[in-house]
Amino acid sequence: MLRTTLRHLGATAAMLVALSVLMFGLLRATPGDPVAAYMDPTAAYSAADIAALRHRMGLDQPLPLQYLDWATAALHGDFGYSTQHDRQPVRAMIAERAGPTLLLMGSGLILSTALGIGAGILAALRRDGPLDVALAVVGSLGVSSPAFLTALLGLFVFAVRLGWAPSGGMTTPGVPTTIADLLAHLALPAAIFAAGQATLTMRYMRAAMLEVMNHDYIRTARAKGVGEVWVICKHATRNALLPVVTLTGANIGAAVGGAIFIESVFNWPGMGLLMVNAVEARDYPVIMGSALVIGLFVLLINLLTDVVCAAVDPRIRVR
Amino acid sequence: MMQMTRRQSLALAGGLAITGARRARAQASRNVMVGGFDVGPGGFQGNFNPLAATAGFQWLNLYYETLVLYDAALENIKGALAASFESNPEKTRFMFHLVPDAKWHDGSAFTSTDVAFTIALAKDAKLGSIFASRLADITDVQTPDAHTAIMVLGKPNGSLPDILTKLMMLPEKALSALPREGLDRNPWWSTSPIGTGPFRFVRYETDQYVELKANSAYRAGKPKLDGVINRYFKNSAGAVAALRSGEIQFSYVESDEAAGFANDPKFHVIDGNSWVMNYIGFNARAGMWSDVRVRRALLQAINRDAIIKAIFKGAADPALSIYTAGNVTPKDLDPYPYDPAHAKLLLQQAGWDKINGSKPLPMLSYYNTPLVTNVMTAIQAMLGQVGIMVTPRQVDVATYNGIVYGQNNDAQFPLVYAGAQDGPEPGIANIYINSKQAPPAGANIMHADVPDLDAALNAALAEPDASKRPARFQQVARVFNTELPWAPLWVGKRYGVLSADIHNFVWTPAPSGGGYEQNAVAWSFS
Amino acid sequence: MSATLLSRPRSPLLRAALRFAAMPVPMAGLILLLLMLGAILLHPWLLGIDPDAIDLMAINAPPDAAHWLGADGVGRDVLARVLDGGRVSLLVATGSVAISLVIGFAVGAIAALGGRVANAVAMRLVDLAMTLPPVVLLLVLASLTGQGVGATILVIALLSWPVLARLVRARLLELREREFVMASRGMGAGFWHILRRHALPNCLDIIVVYSALQVANAILLEAGLSFLGMGIPQPAASWGNMLNAARSTVVLQNYSWQWLAPGAALLLTVMAINFVGDGLRAALDPRSDL
Repeated sequence: MLRTTLRHLGATAAMLVALSVLMFGLLRATPGDPVAAYMDPTAAYSAADIAALRHRMGLDQPLPLQYLDWATAALHGDFGYSTQHDRQPVRAMIAERAGPTLLLMGSGLILSTALGIGAGILAALRRDGPLDVALAVVGSLGVSSPAFLTALLGLFVFAVRLGWAPSGGMTTPGVPTTIADLLAHLALPAAIFAAGQATLTMRYMRAAMLEVMNHDYIRTARAKGVGEVWVICKHATRNALLPVVTLTGANIGAAVGGAIFIESVFNWPGMGLLMVNAVEARDYPVIMGSALVIGLFVLLINLLTDVVCAAVDPRIRVR
Repeated sequence: MMQMTRRQSLALAGGLAITGARRARAQASRNVMVGGFDVGPGGFQGNFNPLAATAGFQWLNLYYETLVLYDAALENIKGALAASFESNPEKTRFMFHLVPDAKWHDGSAFTSTDVAFTIALAKDAKLGSIFASRLADITDVQTPDAHTAIMVLGKPNGSLPDILTKLMMLPEKALSALPREGLDRNPWWSTSPIGTGPFRFVRYETDQYVELKANSAYRAGKPKLDGVINRYFKNSAGAVAALRSGEIQFSYVESDEAAGFANDPKFHVIDGNSWVMNYIGFNARAGMWSDVRVRRALLQAINRDAIIKAIFKGAADPALSIYTAGNVTPKDLDPYPYDPAHAKLLLQQAGWDKINGSKPLPMLSYYNTPLVTNVMTAIQAMLGQVGIMVTPRQVDVATYNGIVYGQNNDAQFPLVYAGAQDGPEPGIANIYINSKQAPPAGANIMHADVPDLDAALNAALAEPDASKRPARFQQVARVFNTELPWAPLWVGKRYGVLSADIHNFVWTPAPSGGGYEQNAVAWSFS
Repeated sequence: MSATLLSRPRSPLLRAALRFAAMPVPMAGLILLLLMLGAILLHPWLLGIDPDAIDLMAINAPPDAAHWLGADGVGRDVLARVLDGGRVSLLVATGSVAISLVIGFAVGAIAALGGRVANAVAMRLVDLAMTLPPVVLLLVLASLTGQGVGATILVIALLSWPVLARLVRARLLELREREFVMASRGMGAGFWHILRRHALPNCLDIIVVYSALQVANAILLEAGLSFLGMGIPQPAASWGNMLNAARSTVVLQNYSWQWLAPGAALLLTVMAINFVGDGLRAALDPRSDL
């Protein structure tokens, strides 16, 4: 067990190196550099202005030298400085955004997993009945709505028209921060995020349950006279959870990269917004740093998902 | 499990309704104005270093001050921290008489030492100062006494006051105590900056908001507001929502969003010239635009008035040449009216079939709004009717700049739909259309090369007599109108929305957001 | 339901088809799908309005006699554009789903059934694909491939296959330990045989759900691509670039027909595919009769 874990961690480290090299190459192939991102196309910049900018952003060094510099510093935990205006250290920027992201994603995912699993089970039990069809319609609605549309509609309906929630931000400006204030700001973005994710979980859960409900051991249990609810809870759910666990793991991984639209519409200061702003600004140090942190998180979650799957079904072992 | 969730969510919703209503009331009773001051093209979210500021002056001018400022109409430069100023006729010596009673937020007096220090910092390119090249002509700053500063220039430069309207004065005592190396990265700027303005810095909540409070020791008196808060928004949609829900009292909004506030008595809509002329640029190196008949045909194929009326809903004015306002626009320009039949004739005469025919031409743009998508689609349809096939391509700013400033990319941008700042100082146009200003020297990305235009520009810039300058620039406008290195389309208006509760608010949608007198001391709730 | 003895045994496929036809909800979905496909393909003859004709006088016109679903920001008829855009959108969606299905299933199967080394390599590939930030990848691809249907299909497929690979792998790891598979291998069955006879049928529920969800996802991704300067260029209509109009708060609130129409079309398509897919899964499962 220990040897397997160590091997997995070693593979993870190698993956991060591969990711960083790949990202570095990709970034260099992207059109435009930090100076190009900074220049307002309607304003006039002279050659001297541009040279000053290039020097300030550290762009006058040759390419291979830059990667080695970055890699050695990164090993010591120093991700360099952002090329954007206030030149903050990248590590501090990421640390500041990690908390809000985890808060939003965490609450959203807990909500969506609970909702999705519950709704999926119900839909499978009442298959082809009116509830199942209604849930399918709601599910389809959740999936066919673009993220920015759901976020904007949620903002305008719940925050502006109904006034149930504040219109963005993480806290109310100017007043001291309280937990209640934070939760009030968290509620709407988390709910919208959860709504989108719950539909995915629900569909997979339902399909897996239907597939499993016809298996022999379920019929055996029914034939033995065991209660229907008990049968389902014990046998079918356990085995139907396998794809759902995998999917949830994949969702968490993707979610950390950002519910980008939710963060940008609600101005929630998370990693997604950091990444999007950095890409717009071609802020290479921040992009590299946050890609690495997110990559590490995704890899760890994938690892965790495999472990949980093996725990749920002891027959699965990669030999 | 499902039922508990439903009950819980109902309780949560009820709780939210109560807290939400309470919160809105709590904010209004405090004498603090909240706004999206860095929303839109004039803002610069997250930038706290005035030396690197190419925009965001509306906010910076609340806690810093400059030596001189434009008036609200952006016509005349008046004194701010300098009570008055004058220069010698050769424009090589500028003398500034500083106000006697300006104090920094830490209580010390503002003196000419601070002016000399600020200029020295601003000339340091290693600190990322964008003023380094613009102030390069300054060879010395003399400080004969505490309230007089004299800037000595190596070359005449009449636009020095215009540059100084954007340079915030910085405290010598506080900043020289910090290490000079890496000063631009110092957290001082975003945690405890010191200025002389009517408000003082309280705190910056990362990516969320910046809070200022009133400076009771301000020399023009204590501001009527207790504080001002700048809320950050990723885009104007969030700002519009916050305006409507009463959480903020001011923001820039897009022109189509402004129309939604027009008839609402709870809001005032402020508009002004954007000073950005939108045009279709002809890439002179792409090979198909060398015949002026083709360029004129393209302009006449577009029904500018219809687009302004139907798509912009009147939020723009037609542009006939490079300049669109002020006294540098002559009255005798050719309007190139909408005439598709004539356009087809011109194309036929020029042999368009052999030059390009119906091969699709990419039209690159960095504007990403649905409004511009509609504009470009309309242009595409109109040009298609006369036989010019274009394919709009909207990309982000970094990609756009990477393409147009790069080498060997001309096939990717035979046409661009872009904007250029054309004022208030008309000399700014030189860097876009003078053939000597092609990249990397300047911003002439279309590689325009019109000898008559170069001559007119050079003559205008070198004109020593201030009263003759307008006529010189009018000549530039005439040559531009005849030769059409670009097809000038329109100049848009910019809009801001202010809550009706706020009085004495001054806002001009100036290019880069400033710096003009905004009278922040008098802003107040009714 | 009792099993009756028939005079002539029917083939499994025919039995599956009959089972499908007996289920009302999937049949409704199938009919809906066919109706939509018909309208999309035949709209020039049914409707007769040019989807690309701009009309500056009719900008943002609400639904009326001339424009049944209203007009968009340059006066084009929304109904005509929804039907025309359906062609492109469905082509992009089915193309990218097909490609990502092939890649995802192949990688997942290799990982689960191919042995330890194959599992390690395949999973590292999946992990790498999952950790790459999509925005950066898209920007690079945009500059390399440019706009157009083919490029869009490729890009969307490349972004979507990793999730399927992980789902398939998890399911097949479980399957590998089942008795009939072990018996099959004991009898000397090869990799391809197991894949075709055991792996594929038992992953059907995952594949069906994935396809339905991925069709929607592909169309929405296509909307996002046109925001980055890729995707389907104007004046061609696609549900994705029509939905992008809703980014403007004015359109969102005041001209809702412009985004409700493509949104509704997408919703109906996804629902129909969901129901049909559900029916397929149930019909092809021989145990659902009993």
